[in-house]
Order: sequence, then structure tokens, then C-alpha cells
Amino acid sequence: MLSEPTEQVIAEITRPLSYAEKIWNQAAVRKVVILLFLAVAWQIYAQRLNNPLMFPPFSDTTAALWNAFAKGELGSRVLVSLKVLLSGYAIGIVLAMVLAGIANGTRLGNDLLEVLTAMFNPLPAIALLPLALLWFGLGNGSITFVLIHAVLWPVALSTHSGFASISGTIRMVGRNYGLTGFRYVLHILIPAAFPAILTGLKNGWAFAWRTLIAAELVFGVSSGSGGIGWFIYENKNQLEIAYVFAGLLTVIAIGVIMDSLFRLIEQRTVSRWGMKF
Amino acid sequence: MASAVSPLLDVQGVTIQYKTSEQLVTATWKVGFQADRSDRLVLLGPSGCGKSTLLKAVGGYLTPAAGRITLDGRTITGPGPDRMMVFQETDQLLPWKTVRQNVAFALIASGRAKKADADEQAMIAIRTVKLDKFADAYPHTLSGGMKQRVAIARCLAMKPEIILMDEPFAALDALTRQQMQEELLELWSQSKFTMIFVTHSIEEAILLGNRIVLLSPHPGQVKEILDVDLDDPANRFHGRYNELRDTIHRVLFKDVGDYVI
Repeated sequence: MLSEPTEQVIAEITRPLSYAEKIWNQAAVRKVVILLFLAVAWQIYAQRLNNPLMFPPFSDTTAALWNAFAKGELGSRVLVSLKVLLSGYAIGIVLAMVLAGIANGTRLGNDLLEVLTAMFNPLPAIALLPLALLWFGLGNGSITFVLIHAVLWPVALSTHSGFASISGTIRMVGRNYGLTGFRYVLHILIPAAFPAILTGLKNGWAFAWRTLIAAELVFGVSSGSGGIGWFIYENKNQLEIAYVFAGLLTVIAIGVIMDSLFRLIEQRTVSRWGMKF
Repeated sequence: MASAVSPLLDVQGVTIQYKTSEQLVTATWKVGFQADRSDRLVLLGPSGCGKSTLLKAVGGYLTPAAGRITLDGRTITGPGPDRMMVFQETDQLLPWKTVRQNVAFALIASGRAKKADADEQAMIAIRTVKLDKFADAYPHTLSGGMKQRVAIARCLAMKPEIILMDEPFAALDALTRQQMQEELLELWSQSKFTMIFVTHSIEEAILLGNRIVLLSPHPGQVKEILDVDLDDPANRFHGRYNELRDTIHRVLFKDVGDYVI
């Protein structure tokens, strides 16, 4: 005989969290609160300092930001910057893939990539700007050149290490399907190395973005339309410091947007595939 | 016993050598065996006998230093979809594709099916290994046994001339392994594919093979080729089963001397 189960009621099995707790559990909410706090601190400090020439308050900066976009000036500046950036970024990535593909196939190619990245990866792209100006003149050609340099080496390096870390089994599976050459690289090597490639793309983006703004600060104007860097420099010369801050905020905002875009790509790809390292 | 029809797979006097950074190692020495259509040929031997190396040579990943391997009369020169491999490693599925996509992509990439038909053919193969519920799952969410079943489904969908299995169940737990062995036999009785199965387990060899090639190590050489004549291979307590096991034991360990197992 089984013994009679003792009557015992568990007081609660699940209890929904309170709304406040649920809201606070959202990372985005916590981050917005931090941003609000920073904005308030900025405003209070700037007002007490009372020197808008050196440090304009948050309210002036947002007003300037609104004006700059409403007048259409900053918006077109952003577009100019992004256009140059994207072309440099795209060319850099294609070159990096080609270089890493060659390095994967042959021993000499491998040595070539290692020597080149060892030489050029530590060389800051902006240091090439004087030379680029000499070769390509004032204008987008020079900026694109330094951008390619900023993107090519970090992306090639991480793509190369990504290819190198692909397991022998996956390689054999690809060849078992009869894949060779370009199709093998496209369908097997690139997706199998994608976690490393994505890291490279992220780093390449960060390098390119910084290089671009720095290069634009140096000259930036070509045929009368400069980018964000030039917008900042121009306004500093006219002592429109609130607009300088507005330009900086725009640079930050684009950086944050790109960061979340990369995070989204990561979620859709390597996280879903269980390939995150 | 020479048959009138030439064998599907003919391995003749195959010597395989590979280089390490220090020396040239001979993995197999003048190995020869044949497999007919619908054979379940097992390569059995201790580690170092070159059985996996032989299988990779049949797969086309290695070129023999001497001898030749022909499939249906054609000399093997490189990897190809007519010889599908199942590996021991559970990372043989492409992690960026779902179960269905993994099977379908094999068909598309190798040109065995058009994009439109590949999905349907893939689902048929996935159903035969009873994984239709997991068709849209990514490999990293599957257990080891399920991954191996997908790899087998991928092979079956490709309808290759021969299936090459490199210790596919060695990394699985004992219960799953036994289940997989029985499922493999069942699949074979449905479609009578030709396979070469590499293992170091005598039990697995007797259970799965209809012919067993016994190899000795350093370098790998054929000791003996046995025909398995069991009326009920799934019965592991058969009298004939024990006889075979003892024979294999004797052949494989006769050089070991007084070594007690």
C-alpha cells in the first residue's frame, strides 16, 4: 500500500513580476535612463559654467541639431560622408576577401598576406593622408584611398584567421559536393568563417568611420560639399560651438546606429547558427 | 572467388604515404580489396592501421603513392558526389543551414537536383531517418545522434555510387550507437546501397558488415578478408557471431604473442 500523500499546499508556484520590475529588466530602458542622466548633468554643468562659447548647454545643442537638420545642411553633409565611407568600405572589403582567398589557396599567398598585414595594419590610415593628397589631390579620391587602407588590413587579417580556423571536416564536406574555386569560397569558406569575418567587418567599420571624420577635419571640401567633419571644422571657425556639438552628436549617433546594425546581423547569423565564439 | 561482373570498387596494391614535418610515413602498404554493389564492406583494425586513410583515399582526398583505386572502372582522381562521406565528427553539417537546407544544398551544389526539386527530395530523405519534425532546426540544436542521422540522410538523398562511413557512431553514447546501427541496417534493407564502413569495434564490424577487411597496423596491410554469414545479424548472442568474433580476435592479435586481452 502506498502511504496517503500528505496534504500540503505550496503557497505559490509562479507569480508575475510587477510592471516596474518588468520595465527595469529591459536593457534598453536602463540605457535610456543613463542617457537622460548624462543629458541632465550636461545641462546643469553648462548652465553653472555659463560659457556657451566653450561649453554650450544641452538645450542649445539640441536646438542647433534641429536647426542644422531642418535647414537641410547637416543632412546632406551626413549623406556626403556616408557615400564616401560606403564606397571605401566596400572596395576595402572586396580587396580583403580576394587577398584572404588567395592566402587560403597557396602557401606563398599566405606569406604575402602575413607580411602585408604585419606591415600595414599598425600604420594609422590618417598618416597616409599627406601622401594621398599628393597622389590624388584634394577630394574624395584621397579620402577613399585612406579609407580602403583603414578597412583592408583588419578585415583581411580576421578573414584570414577565420579561414584558417575552419575544421578539416567542413572543408572535406564542401569538396565532397564537388565545390571548387570561387563557389567553394563563397558557399563553404565565407559562411564557415563568418564569425571571424563579422568581427573584422565591425573593426573595419570603426577604423573607417574614425579615419573619415579625421580626414574631413583636415580638408573635407571637394567641389563645395563637405562631410560631417568639415561641418564641425567650419562651425568651430565661425565660433558656432553649439553646432560643433551638434556635429559631434551626429557622429556619435551614426556610430551607435551602426553598432546596433552589426548586433542585429550577429543575432540573425552567428547567434542563430550557434557559431558565436 | 572471381565473379563474372567486375566489382564496383576495386582497390589494388594501394600504398599511401604522407609527410610530417620530419619524416615520410607509410600509412598503408599494398592494400587490396573489392566491393560489389550492395556490399557492406567493413574496414576493421586497431588504430594506426590506416583504415581512415584508406577511406579518404577512396573519397579522393588523398592520392596513393602506388596502386590504384577504381570506381566502376574509372580511376579516382579527386573528391566527388558519387562517393558521399559520413564523418565521425558531429561538425560535418553546415551550421549556417537548417537540416532541410543542409540536405538540399548538397543536392544543389553537386548538381544532383534543381533548386525547385531539391527541397522535396531532401524532405523524403529526412523522413527516412525520422527527423521530419526537425527539418527547420539548425544543427547546433540537435543531439549527436540526430546530427549523424542528418549526415546519413544527406548521403541517401545524393544517391551516390558508394557511401563512405568513417567511424560515424564512435562519438555517440552506447545506447544511441546501438540504435543507430540497427537503423542503418534497416535503411540498407530498404535501398541496398553500397557502403564502406570504417570501425575499430569488432562487434560493430560483425553487426554491420557482410564482408570484413582485417588490417594490421604500422603500416596498414590486409591480414584477411572475411565473409560474414549470419542469418540474423541483429542477434548479438548468436553462436556463429561468437565464432566470428573469436576468429577476428585471433587474426588481429596473433602477432601480439602472450598479450592477454
